[in-house]
Amino acid sequence: MIALLAEFNLAVVPLLAAVEVHGAAAESSGGIGDAVAQFGFQWQSFLSQVITFLVVYFVLNKYAFPPIMGMLEERRRRIADGEENLKKIQQQLAQADERVGGMIDEANREAERLIADARDSASAQREQRIQSAVNEATNIIAKAHEASKLEHERLMGELKREFGRLVVDTTGKVTGKVLDEKDRKRINEEAAGQIAL
Amino acid sequence: MNFAQTLTQSGLNAFLASGGIAPDPLSGWFTNSMLVAFVVMAVVLIFVKLATSNMSIIPNRKQNLLEFIFEFLYGQVEGVVGPKLAPKSFPILFTIFVFILTANWMGLIPGVGTVGFGKGSGFLTIDESDAHAEFHPLLRPATADLNMTFALAAVFMIVWIWIVVSEVGVKGFLDHTFGPKGGLTGFMKWALVPVFLFVGVIEVISIAFRPVTLSLRLLGNIFAGETLLHTMGHLGEILGFPDWLSMIGGVVFPLPFYFMEILVGLLQAVVFTLLCAVYIQVGASHDEEEHH
Repeated sequence: MIALLAEFNLAVVPLLAAVEVHGAAAESSGGIGDAVAQFGFQWQSFLSQVITFLVVYFVLNKYAFPPIMGMLEERRRRIADGEENLKKIQQQLAQADERVGGMIDEANREAERLIADARDSASAQREQRIQSAVNEATNIIAKAHEASKLEHERLMGELKREFGRLVVDTTGKVTGKVLDEKDRKRINEEAAGQIAL
Repeated sequence: MNFAQTLTQSGLNAFLASGGIAPDPLSGWFTNSMLVAFVVMAVVLIFVKLATSNMSIIPNRKQNLLEFIFEFLYGQVEGVVGPKLAPKSFPILFTIFVFILTANWMGLIPGVGTVGFGKGSGFLTIDESDAHAEFHPLLRPATADLNMTFALAAVFMIVWIWIVVSEVGVKGFLDHTFGPKGGLTGFMKWALVPVFLFVGVIEVISIAFRPVTLSLRLLGNIFAGETLLHTMGHLGEILGFPDWLSMIGGVVFPLPFYFMEILVGLLQAVVFTLLCAVYIQVGASHDEEEHH
């Protein structure tokens, strides 16, 4: 504040004093025109300064403002475009997120369905395999039973024949008689009949 | 005579010794402040040329500085005159601001107002061995010359007239200046016509004085700053310090005031420009806008 007051005192007072001095001089010698002249006003200098300033004004107006305005407008347009693109990208991103979310949900549902199908299929196949195995085992057992029965019958036939032959041989040896074909047949049948019992 | 009076008288003596408020002619009517005005013109045009060459979306430092000033000022101007008038009035206001700011700050460069020829003080002064010879600075701040400040104001007023006439027309301007205001109708409108005519005359006088007030305000502030710095520079001699201490004082004492004058230079450029913007807004505003 003190500095400002000092500046006012030191700067304005000399100016006022100067004006007073020049004013007094002007009054004594010819009015406002002389007072203006005392301030250093000269038409030549004034016109020169006008021309100097006009040169700056016209040069800036013609060569500086258009490119600067154009550049600022271009930058403003790019920023606006960028903002617009950013909004579009954000919308697209949101849509993509939504779409990806939908696809993930769909994929999850599809995966669950496939897993369930696979589980059902596996279960059915297992059942089928088990059934097949059971059937096969049953067939094998049945075949084994059949084979066993056939073998038993075959063995029984052989046994009967062997037994009949033994009986015929034994009978022949015990009786000392040569048995004819008729006897042999009869003895074999009797022996086989005994075995069947 | 007290200390303040001593300082004041010494400042006045320093001011008168430096040739007074009038610029010194270097050759005929070509003055030292005109030389500085040419330098200012060259500096502004060269800087703008460099800043606008090879402009790109990603600006270099010069382009960035110019665009910063441009956008800052455009915002200020648009805030005062409105978005409709801003494009038309901005070129003259921008030129005024840049020119005054450059001129004000160039006046603070050491040597402006202190380097010259003739009678003076200090060991670097060329003494012409003439007791009546005065000191003639080679350079003076351009805006400490009434010719320059009045030229700025005059050019602005011409552009102001063009903007106002192109915006509201001569009839609109006369209606706006002399016509009834405040949406009056009926008897009151006609009863107050003499009052508004009288107000219009006052308004016209006020407009006529605008170049004077604009130019003298700028001149007074910049010349006051120049005188202040001169006084501070000679403070050691005024107070009777030894020569070596006066020389140190001549550097130290003005130093704080340099920073203040940097601020004053900017402030005066802003004040001049914004006042011009206000004049444009007041002159080119439509009545229907005022009623809102």
